[in-house]
Amino acid sequence: MRMQKRRDFLKLCNFIYAQSTESWGEFFLGGRRITRMSRSSLITSENDIDIGLELTGDEDDVSTLQEGQERKRHRGRRKAGEREKKKRPRRNREASAAGEAKEEESQAQPQKGKRGRRRRERTEAEEAEGNQRGEEKHAKIKSGKAEKTRKNVRNEKTQKKDQEEEEEEEEEEEAGSRNSKRKKRRASAKEEEKEEVESKHKVKEQTQEVKEKKKKKKKKHKKVETSSEQDTSEEEDKDEADNEEIGVRPESLTPEELEKLKEAVDERKKLIQGLRGKPWPMKKKLVTLRESQEFVEKYEGALGKGKGRKLYAYKVMMNKKWMKFQRDFENFKTACIPWEMKIKEIESHFGSSVASYFLFLRWMYGINMILFGLTFGLVMVPEALMGRPYGSIPRKTVPRAEEASAMDFAVLWDFGGYAQYSVLFYGYYNNQRAIGWLKFRMPLSYFLVGVGTVAYSYMVVIRTMARNANDSGVGDDNSFNFSWKMFTSWDYLIGNPETADNKFASITTSFKEAILEEQESRKDDNIHLTRFLRVLANFLVLCCLAGSGYLIYFVVRRSQKFALDGLDTHSWWERNEVNMVMSLLGMFCPMLFDVISTLENYHPRVALQWQLGRIFALFLGNLYTFIIALMDEINLKREEEKIVKFNITMWEASLYNGTVSENSTALPITIQPADVPRGPCWETMVGQEFVRLIISDTMTTYITLLIGDFLRAVLVRFLNYCWCWDLEAGFPSYSEFDVSGNVLGLIFNQGMIWMGAFYAPCLPALNVLRLHVSMYLQCWAVMCCNVPQERVFKASGSNNFYMAMLLVILFLSTLPAIYTIVTIPPSFDCGPFSGKKRMFDVIQETLESDFPAWFSKVFSYASNPGLVLPFMLLMVLAIYYLQSTSKSYKEANVELKKKLQTQNEENKKKNKRAALKAQMDLEEAKKATSHGDGPEHQKNNNASLKDQEVDWEDNQGNGPRLYRGRNERNPSALRIKECHLPATNAPVPRSHHHGSHGAPGYLPGLPLQSEPRMYRVPSMQRH
Amino acid sequence: MVSPAIALAFLPLLLTLLIRYRYYFVLFYRAVLVRIWKDCVTGLSREERVFQYVLTHATPGDPDSILDAFDDWCSKVEYISNIGPKKGKILDRLLMEQSPLTVLELGAHCGYSTVRIARALPLGARLYSLEMDQRNAAITEKVIRLAGFDDDTVELIVDPSDEVIPRLRSEYGLERLDFVFMDHWKKCYAPDLQMLEGSGLLGKGTMIVADNVLFPGAPKFLRHIRKSGLYKWKVHRATLEYSKGIRDGMAELVYEGIK
Repeated sequence: MRMQKRRDFLKLCNFIYAQSTESWGEFFLGGRRITRMSRSSLITSENDIDIGLELTGDEDDVSTLQEGQERKRHRGRRKAGEREKKKRPRRNREASAAGEAKEEESQAQPQKGKRGRRRRERTEAEEAEGNQRGEEKHAKIKSGKAEKTRKNVRNEKTQKKDQEEEEEEEEEEEAGSRNSKRKKRRASAKEEEKEEVESKHKVKEQTQEVKEKKKKKKKKHKKVETSSEQDTSEEEDKDEADNEEIGVRPESLTPEELEKLKEAVDERKKLIQGLRGKPWPMKKKLVTLRESQEFVEKYEGALGKGKGRKLYAYKVMMNKKWMKFQRDFENFKTACIPWEMKIKEIESHFGSSVASYFLFLRWMYGINMILFGLTFGLVMVPEALMGRPYGSIPRKTVPRAEEASAMDFAVLWDFGGYAQYSVLFYGYYNNQRAIGWLKFRMPLSYFLVGVGTVAYSYMVVIRTMARNANDSGVGDDNSFNFSWKMFTSWDYLIGNPETADNKFASITTSFKEAILEEQESRKDDNIHLTRFLRVLANFLVLCCLAGSGYLIYFVVRRSQKFALDGLDTHSWWERNEVNMVMSLLGMFCPMLFDVISTLENYHPRVALQWQLGRIFALFLGNLYTFIIALMDEINLKREEEKIVKFNITMWEASLYNGTVSENSTALPITIQPADVPRGPCWETMVGQEFVRLIISDTMTTYITLLIGDFLRAVLVRFLNYCWCWDLEAGFPSYSEFDVSGNVLGLIFNQGMIWMGAFYAPCLPALNVLRLHVSMYLQCWAVMCCNVPQERVFKASGSNNFYMAMLLVILFLSTLPAIYTIVTIPPSFDCGPFSGKKRMFDVIQETLESDFPAWFSKVFSYASNPGLVLPFMLLMVLAIYYLQSTSKSYKEANVELKKKLQTQNEENKKKNKRAALKAQMDLEEAKKATSHGDGPEHQKNNNASLKDQEVDWEDNQGNGPRLYRGRNERNPSALRIKECHLPATNAPVPRSHHHGSHGAPGYLPGLPLQSEPRMYRVPSMQRH
Repeated sequence: MVSPAIALAFLPLLLTLLIRYRYYFVLFYRAVLVRIWKDCVTGLSREERVFQYVLTHATPGDPDSILDAFDDWCSKVEYISNIGPKKGKILDRLLMEQSPLTVLELGAHCGYSTVRIARALPLGARLYSLEMDQRNAAITEKVIRLAGFDDDTVELIVDPSDEVIPRLRSEYGLERLDFVFMDHWKKCYAPDLQMLEGSGLLGKGTMIVADNVLFPGAPKFLRHIRKSGLYKWKVHRATLEYSKGIRDGMAELVYEGIK
């Protein structure tokens, strides 16, 4: 079903493809058709091999520019009947070597237009031994004498004899194990072959042979150079290949042939590699791929002979193994990317917008892993291992009053009791400068990790943004609205019929809407209504925001009152009111916004951004209300601290007084750390608040997931059997995945982590846990209880919007943290910075005591405002400069783009003109050559008795048809289709064709044909 | 005790639900609450009330004015789930295109759709209208006569559909149905369709139109037509009659037979 939808959608594309196909169909018209003819006229025994060899031949053509050119040349040669005779001496020369006999054949063959056909004919001819080439064959196979008579000056009789012997022997061999060994023998490389020959025959012969080969090579080279002889060599190859196939001939072992075969295999491989990028229909691709693979499979291992063969086979095998290993390794790497498959599956079901959330979640998980590693490895573990143990000093001990309930679950759940007095929170850390045998600078490490996590986060976010900014192209969205819609709206990652349905529907509706929009943009009668509705919606949202802000403010004030009263006198609900209200508002207000946003009638992508912005405002408001409340609480605690400090001095004094009177030595022993009075430690309080917030937030998310999605889905699914209306399609339905809400939740969660991580080192660990669980839970929930969105839309691949929000949140969340660090002095009796005036004094302390004096001096100079201010100024200037340059680059880009466009258009025009001109030329040429065709055909007919009729018809039909095709566009196109289709059925992969087709600047239709024609004409005239 | 602030936090949820499902609440109010209230006040059934209204507001013998009166009453006064004017237009079009000679209507209710179909029929066509409920059938009879259709055009059968369909061939001498309109109990759609298939009354080209397949919805029916492969089908998307926001659909099936 999905495929069909897609097919529907891509019909138009197919049109274009068809057009282009036609054009290159015409281009290769002659060759294809003749192939078909020959196939029909001759007995075809080995179809697949035939195809493969055809390819071989074709590939050879790559060097020579166009196939048609050669064909013309053939024709020309045919015309000149004497030419063959001229060639004969040379041929005889060649014939001296057994392997070269084939070349002769091939030369004798140029009468035929198409190699494939020729080959076939030859096969048959060989069987029948009664055709045109009979003479040559006789000369070659039956008697060396015939060859001798025609012998070359250069070649000696002995040599020839040897050659013949060779031939015969090989023939025998082949007769023995023809079928099995054929290919292998054929397929060996030149040298290898030679070696084998050596091993078989005498050493003397070898030298001669080598000479001969060299000669031949030279000759061949010459031939290739002289364009008129080009085809000869190709035909040679063809023949060789043919012989290979048939296995009748011993000469099949010539090195050229092997080389060609090798080349063919290589070509095939190349073809397979580049197949993905080819603009063919899928069916053709599949067929081509399968055939190429078969071919490679068949011949690859067989290339090589004797020792060489083994080596070669081994090499090939190893190569294959290596490839396989690489592929497996790739798979393994993909499998190693966490949750990759899950996300892909979700993507296929729900489209890329939902998947983008999960990608974001995964990215976030990675970031948090690193934050966790930093805090865990550099703060928590050293303190736990090397710091003073629990109970050694007051800050590491649960106070006497709380001891009874310190292990209660309710207390622990609130992160009080033993959880509070552990490495999880700020207050537990000691202000000892260096701990353990490593002399680990704990306070410094604590401070630097706090700064480092934030700095790292900034770095990562900005880097990702910059990287994404490159991806999000410079595309101007407004110019080709409908074209974009037409060609780019399908989401190719969808793999689910339902989603495909939705996508299909959404594309259709988007078209409708776009058309309507175009119409309405001219009418704009109810634009006022839309505007009014949008304003109204924003007003409502603002009201909602204000309401929620006030509610939180109210709750926070109340909670302060409760705090003053003492928490124990109030119920759990009242104590957790702030968190509850925040979570609930964060959960329900987005729903309300969503409902309100239907008023606005935006495109879903725009709507999503509005929605995100609104939720962002809501969350931000909530968060900041919360922070303001916390600030108040911090101030309260500091008041309390002052009182406690005073009390402690009193207490100590009384203690001293008491003890001094009795005994001065007994003092330290009598006081348990749990009994020592202590300050309220606002830092731990802040950390606790954040941890509680995170926990309640996580809980709300999960509970919403379970109730809102899972329970609903279960009810809908199973109540549907006994309900009076259709629950699935109607009222409650299944829920959709709420991308915006989830993304925002994630971002704010991260903001809270950044804010609180300094006071609660356990936060990154908690967050990692939370993200891990929510990854699995949400993946499961989305797959099992959600339905694809009704309007599936494509999220932009580079979700820079998320990143921008994350950056804003990062900034906004580091603000209060930095504010507290800079302005509020740390508690006097807890945390790594206790006793200092400010937390960052730890840096100064380190500089003074751990670094040489000059360093601190330099540092103090460097931190002098006189230096810092110019530096800042410089930075601002640099930023300004960079920004202006980037702007100018952007402009230049746009200019270049425009230029490119105009150039393209010009090219089109030029091509058109060239095509027209070529057409004219062709017509002239046709006139000039129209008489020349006749004799050619005659000769062809003489060539083979069997094919006479067909050939004649073929040739008769060929010329006019070709010409007609060029003159009248439409009929030719039709015919080409006819010719082309069967050719694809028995596929004839021609890599170079596709290459030429794929060349940029060509458009389907006219321009493509211009070039071949341009070539053909001169070549024809030359002959 | 839950604090009032937490309760207040649920306000957005309440608002969301209210806004999102407002049409359903309105429908509930109009179709259920008002109906109960009126039943108690007037002592008449809903169908009797609508008939009174039609009798006083429509021109006898003019099907159009009768339909208009129905529409007026259903959209302004109370609610009855007729096919409604919008989906009715689709039905009219289908009937015009098809010009069937034998039409079966399942579920006449109070005659709105019967009149609608009858007025679109070609000359000489015959409509068999099924209604299960006696009192409704009486109203339907009156409405049909009021619209000026006689027994030859419209034959009202007062029986449940699952009893009548097997007897159609034997008792009513039907050979083939050209058009079937389903608007009775949504749960009966699937079994009745299967019964029709079994009875052999459906021929190639017979059109079956089923109302309200999305709301209240006939999932089994849709599943059946999707799977059976006997039909060429599509669902005309529309809204529920006399309501703007509730989506509904009318399924149009063309019987193709076993290929």
